[in-house]
Amino acid sequence: MEVPIVRLVLENSVMSRPDWSLAADGTFTPGIHLVSGDVGSGKSTLALLMAGLAAPRRGAVIREGIGPAMLSFQFPEFHVTGLSVADECRSWGLEPGPVLVSAGLDLSMDRPALSLSRGELKRLHLACLLSREYDLLLLDEPFSSLDCPGKEWAAREIGKRSRGITVVFTHEQCIFPHTDHIWEIQEGALVDCGGMPGALHAWEHAPALIRRLVMDGTVPDDLTQDAIMEAACRTRE
Amino acid sequence: MIAFENVRFRALCVPSLALPPGVTTIIGPNGAGKSTFLKLCAGIREPEPGTISVDGQNPRNTEIGYVNEFPDRNLLFSTVMDELASPLRFRHMPCTETDREVRACAETWGIAGLLDREVKRLSGGEKCLVALATACITRPRVLVLDEYDSHLDAGRCAAAESVLRSSGVGYIIRCTQQMETAAESDLLLFLEKGRILYSGEPAAVFSRLAGTSFYPLSWRCRS
Repeated sequence: MEVPIVRLVLENSVMSRPDWSLAADGTFTPGIHLVSGDVGSGKSTLALLMAGLAAPRRGAVIREGIGPAMLSFQFPEFHVTGLSVADECRSWGLEPGPVLVSAGLDLSMDRPALSLSRGELKRLHLACLLSREYDLLLLDEPFSSLDCPGKEWAAREIGKRSRGITVVFTHEQCIFPHTDHIWEIQEGALVDCGGMPGALHAWEHAPALIRRLVMDGTVPDDLTQDAIMEAACRTRE
Repeated sequence: MIAFENVRFRALCVPSLALPPGVTTIIGPNGAGKSTFLKLCAGIREPEPGTISVDGQNPRNTEIGYVNEFPDRNLLFSTVMDELASPLRFRHMPCTETDREVRACAETWGIAGLLDREVKRLSGGEKCLVALATACITRPRVLVLDEYDSHLDAGRCAAAESVLRSSGVGYIIRCTQQMETAAESDLLLFLEKGRILYSGEPAAVFSRLAGTSFYPLSWRCRS
């Protein structure tokens, strides 16, 4: 049986404002992709473009074999549609109990969703979102506002995704999911750093610790904390 | 000194605490009460019961700059220029002086190019930078910053740290989920379930957190 091709192609896509532009050209295939870039470089705009919520001024965004798709905004409050925690879970078609357990949240079901701390709200949002399967999942700053255990949980859950294209737009410096491919936005253009681990040599926005490991010649195989620790231990051998 | 005496507010309980001048960072799990603690420091909430004083004054009688953890909740005006100018205009500063101060502040924070932009069209990180600059523009005695760095890239975080350190603000009280940033504090507090479990210099507090997710990754790699 023929396996359908799933991919998203940015074909000479250009988005622009009078004082800013972003050119994106590249193909995203199934796996976990990391996109980094400075504040205001256009990560969120690129996510909107890939989600089909914004159109390029020039070029095209081509989706092949992509069915269910989802964009997670960086601000979890933008996603809230239920008044209470329970309502919010049910708005995703989910039973609240298991969602709260998976998110590690000990909350009253009746609590107003918008009374949660930002980190709690982000956990709730991600737990709902990640309970479903998508052909294209775009995560804009999934780690912002999460505490360290929450970031590790989110990284594990994202890293488990074995289906479809997952794109993580982030400036996180320490906690990453298993990553297959790295991209970054530099001087108004999306740059393909390549697949892991070779991409680490080209990644201008690499966190200081990873840059140091690469310079020392002990390149991590992955971006997970275990892989980084393993590479750091290799340094001392 | 910022002094807490027998402070309670909802689940938060701080029997006694003294924050010296400098940078105090509070870390802990989501929902631990960090934002509540910061709102009390800023005078946005008042303890029930207990007292908080800033050099002997009620926080509400002290010049305080505050940045909310929800970036959109910081922004009141439609353009960056108006947002930055607002604390000065509320003080009836003359227009030419306001304009000069706004441009100097924007330059310091690296957001001069944003002055004419509509705040609703800013990125998350840009909103945070505008909120930070607005909180600092009157050179308050106390700055209270709730996860101001959660939408900033590494370069902007480092630049913000440098600007804050050289701002001359007496007390900077902040929370962050970046442990490498927390490690650069004068005083570190670890809060869990409304209680301060550990406080002291970063090395001492992190030594109590060894083996947890809160221990800085770069420290794990060097140990």
